[in-house]
Amino acid sequence: MNFRWDIIAAYAPFFLKGTLLTIGLSLAGIFFGTILGLLIGLGKIMRNKWLAFPFSLYITIFRGTPLFVQILIIHFGFVPLIIGKTNSIFAGILSLSLNSAAYTAEIFRAGIQSIDKGQMEASRSLGMSHVQAMRHVILPQAFKRMIPPLGNEFIVLIKDSSLLAIIACQEIMYWGRAMQGQYYRVWEPYFTAAAIYLVLTYSMSLLLNYLERRLATE
Amino acid sequence: MKKSFSLVMALLIMSVIMLAGCGTSSNNGSSSTKSEKTLHVVTDASYAPFENMDNGKMVGFDVDIMNAVAKDAGYKVKMDNVGWDAAFAALEGNNADAGISAITINNDRKQTYDFSLPYFQSKNEILIKDGSTISSGKDLKGKTIAVQNATTGQTIAEGILGKNSSKIKKFDTTPLAIQEMLNNGADAVVADSGVVQAYVKNNPDQKLKIVDDPSFPSEYYGIMFPKGSKLVPAFNKAIKKIISDGTYAKIYKANFGKDPDLAQIKAEQAKAE
Repeated sequence: MNFRWDIIAAYAPFFLKGTLLTIGLSLAGIFFGTILGLLIGLGKIMRNKWLAFPFSLYITIFRGTPLFVQILIIHFGFVPLIIGKTNSIFAGILSLSLNSAAYTAEIFRAGIQSIDKGQMEASRSLGMSHVQAMRHVILPQAFKRMIPPLGNEFIVLIKDSSLLAIIACQEIMYWGRAMQGQYYRVWEPYFTAAAIYLVLTYSMSLLLNYLERRLATE
Repeated sequence: MKKSFSLVMALLIMSVIMLAGCGTSSNNGSSSTKSEKTLHVVTDASYAPFENMDNGKMVGFDVDIMNAVAKDAGYKVKMDNVGWDAAFAALEGNNADAGISAITINNDRKQTYDFSLPYFQSKNEILIKDGSTISSGKDLKGKTIAVQNATTGQTIAEGILGKNSSKIKKFDTTPLAIQEMLNNGADAVVADSGVVQAYVKNNPDQKLKIVDDPSFPSEYYGIMFPKGSKLVPAFNKAIKKIISDGTYAKIYKANFGKDPDLAQIKAEQAKAE
């Protein structure tokens, strides 16, 4: 197997463009997914069963169907319905955020419910409202516990963004496949793509490790 | 404990490397011996009317041709729908015996693969929505074009817009590229005439128009083999035979509803030889 570095060099500018887009898509997906996930997670633990139901349904649907299918439905169905034409970047951010939200919602729910009941009772008896207690006492503690599973989810999201190649979203994998199509070679494009993803996910885990150390209390 | 752990790790890493090295060449490998007469043929069955899935069965012009030619050459055929890129990869890695998937014979591909004689003449055509102002390849300048990745349609689009232009959207399949245009994500699709015509015929309600640009070159499909495959001469003989005994014309008419231009294909075959 002669590994051709020259074709990787020829495609380097495209991989760079793709990497920037992948980073952008992932960050947007993480950002919106986390916010949405928090809201859905809080919605799911509402005491009123009827109010909580739509949130559970959301999680069931988005966690129970393949992201691949969601991407196709959103790109060819949902986005044209809203803006009248396809837009792969919009569809990409939307599908990654909606999908990720279902997972982060569960992480938030579990994190919040893992905090001892006494914490809420103590804050309420200090005169805090339910929302204040959530914001100043429960969530900060819960958040620390959520970092490892959230980190997991973020790393999965970065890798999942490669599925957007199917809708011609010009991220890393799209260029990898374009390169494969141009040279009819398998190793170079896919190894290059894999290496870039590895760098991205590893940086992500370093960042999360740092965050965890910063928030460590002991 | 520690020692055994590192030993296990080393073994694991070794086996991963071994696995990665040999890929999936274990049981679907190429049949170099004449004793097992079933050929493993790869295709991308999302390319009606050449090859597509019909209620779980693979049908189409290429499938019929492959069966007829292989029968004549004395082989059984097991068609395997692996997808376009994977079909190329399988042949490159010698994990399949042949590929038939409306594959255009060109010099780039000849460097890595062997081809049979041409068995079909094709042209790229432009598919647009009714009401579009595009009337030739020239009008595509500055427009967004959806194509199937690694097809000659992409080559033509790149000739107009430039290599790897961001205005070219490359999709896995031609139907996906067409879907993109229907949803206003692209102004036109450039793809093989056979597929484009079949799509328009099957979707009369979608108000599509086909533009034929005379300057787009004709191309010819061939059956693709791994480099140095011993099957090529037998298949070439069989292709010529089905053309001369009328089988080819029958298959052509059944799939396209018209008679083939046999003189044209024979002339091209003579050139290739």
